[in-house]
Amino acid sequence: MKKKVFFMFVMALAVVSFLFVPVNSSSAKTLKIGTMSPLTGPYASDGTDIKNGALTAIEVFNENGGMPGYDKIKLYPMDTVCDPRQAVATANKLLNLEVVGVIGAYCSSSTIPASTVLNGADIPMITPASTNEKVTDRGLPYMFRMCGRDDDQAPAAVKFMKEGLKAKTVFIVDDKTTYSQGLADGVEKNCKKMGIKVLGHDHVNQGDRDFSAVLTEAKTINADVFYMSLQGYSPAAMMVIQAKRLGLKSKILGQDAIYQPQFITVGKDAAEGVYLTYGYTDKSTPEYKAFAKRYTKKYGAIGAYATYSFDATTVLLKAIKAAGSTNPDKIKAQIMKLDYDGVSKHVKFNAKGDSGSSYIAFKVENGKFVPYWSPAKGFWK
Amino acid sequence: MDYFIQQLVNGLTLGGLYALIALGYTMVYGVIFLINFAHGEFFTAGGYIGVIALSYCIAHGYTQTHPFLCLAGAFSLAMIYSAYLAVGVEKIAYLPLRGSRLAVLLSALGMSIFLQNGMMLTQGVMDKAYPGELFEGGFSFGMVTISYLQIMIITMTVLLLFGLNRLVYKTKIGMAMRATAQDKTMSALVAIGSNNIISLTFAIGAGLAAAAGVMVGLYYGSVHYDMGFNLGMKAFCAAVLGGIGNITGAMLGGLIIGLVEVFGAGYISGQYKDVFAFIILIGVLYYRPTGIMGENIDETRV
Repeated sequence: MKKKVFFMFVMALAVVSFLFVPVNSSSAKTLKIGTMSPLTGPYASDGTDIKNGALTAIEVFNENGGMPGYDKIKLYPMDTVCDPRQAVATANKLLNLEVVGVIGAYCSSSTIPASTVLNGADIPMITPASTNEKVTDRGLPYMFRMCGRDDDQAPAAVKFMKEGLKAKTVFIVDDKTTYSQGLADGVEKNCKKMGIKVLGHDHVNQGDRDFSAVLTEAKTINADVFYMSLQGYSPAAMMVIQAKRLGLKSKILGQDAIYQPQFITVGKDAAEGVYLTYGYTDKSTPEYKAFAKRYTKKYGAIGAYATYSFDATTVLLKAIKAAGSTNPDKIKAQIMKLDYDGVSKHVKFNAKGDSGSSYIAFKVENGKFVPYWSPAKGFWK
Repeated sequence: MDYFIQQLVNGLTLGGLYALIALGYTMVYGVIFLINFAHGEFFTAGGYIGVIALSYCIAHGYTQTHPFLCLAGAFSLAMIYSAYLAVGVEKIAYLPLRGSRLAVLLSALGMSIFLQNGMMLTQGVMDKAYPGELFEGGFSFGMVTISYLQIMIITMTVLLLFGLNRLVYKTKIGMAMRATAQDKTMSALVAIGSNNIISLTFAIGAGLAAAAGVMVGLYYGSVHYDMGFNLGMKAFCAAVLGGIGNITGAMLGGLIIGLVEVFGAGYISGQYKDVFAFIILIGVLYYRPTGIMGENIDETRV
């Protein structure tokens, strides 16, 4: 009998404590936002840039007065590993944490399914890195994009091949992700339109290290341009190393995913002279200089998506502040109203949720990405 | 014809690397019937030790004065480290559980995850660049370009495989290994320390994998903490294809998988190269369930 009473008491205590815990924990007001990007795996450096960009944005926002009504802003950085299944799982995890907005993801193949989950729960999502058209073309109300679009990047790349590199033929390789294959297909289509002959379009697998077979094929075909559309700098660096060793004579043109200091660190001599298309950021603006000063001190060299992630996070925080609420429709209304000079570009969203593209061609020279050619002005300088 | 020769050299290089890793799987399986899932991690660890040793050489300028000494040092350090790592893993995670084959298998899976994450935490998630440009260069005839690194990989692979064959079939230790593989109790009766021999088998397998790790780093320009998974999986397939438990089979399996991948990618399409490798594997296993060399598994097994 005594034992029974004791157990009843313990059980009652357990139930009561459950009732009280939430009340206690919700008294401190925290604004929760999440990032989704690959923090492990082959694309970890880009993913870490996204996380660091968002952290920097929160730091700056807090210094400028913070969020009225909240004690602090907490970032939940989630790891998607560039895997669609993992992306959906992390999106659900973020929903559980009751975040008010999400910055991410990195791979288009992750962003697309994750955004379906988040939009279903009315959580705004701003991607700093996914360039595939479908990200914003599906009519999701709370999906925004800070970077450019592939259907702008592909024509810019082809125009550069034709006018900048005077190419007549091209050989295309992609690694079959939503992003890389989408872009490669776009390039192929645009080449046909612009009168550049596509001599071949082959695919490799994600996670491959050995590209000797495809590169031997490319060398035999010997097109003017070797268009390399890979997801991330790491396979791209391995590919240029092997291309150089094999003596590939074609000019190599890459895309925005290899705009990453690590590409040059790993590729070394082989990275020299590689061309790539990437959104233009004016590095002389006061906004960029202030960001660069703060970011490099803490995290080192600025990678491809740190600036976009910073702007995306700032956009979200500014909109929440202006709306004075976390209601998704009010946040959206404020995002659409934003019109200011960000770090990476001038921030102004269109009805689809895009913020415009500004692709130019870069060239790797002396271990640096140097602006080389722009569709509007031709050769730089 | 040039195209064919070029792809043949590419395929031999890749196949040689697969063969070196596959040997570790096959030797361990031959002795204790364990599929050592942590083997891919011994390979990665070797790659990392290689980059650390070579970076040390560069920092002290030794690569200018003694490039080949540096290279030899990197290889031996990596091989010795991985061998010790493998013996440690064997003693800690496999030896106490050897009573149940399933328990050891799960322990091997766990060790693989543990080691991979350990490398991620200590070495970081970024690619580590290999100072491979020291040994860059090559010669070409017609359209064929053969780099010194490819020659080095193929030569080293042949030497290591030859050495291993000598060790297993011509020495007392090799005889002890073969005896242990056939019957542990019986070999113990004739004064063979089977536990020591098993440890030695792990050490040799891991040493070969570590050599492959350094070569992969030099050849592809970088190492990454999870590269052991992909290559390890292919090497495991090579071991199964050749007949798991059989050393010659593993060498053969590695070369076949490497050549099929490269020729499949070169002549049909790069996106299906893994498919071709696995079609060959399934096709062979359908007609010969024990693999190509697997029929006399009891006599030649190590």
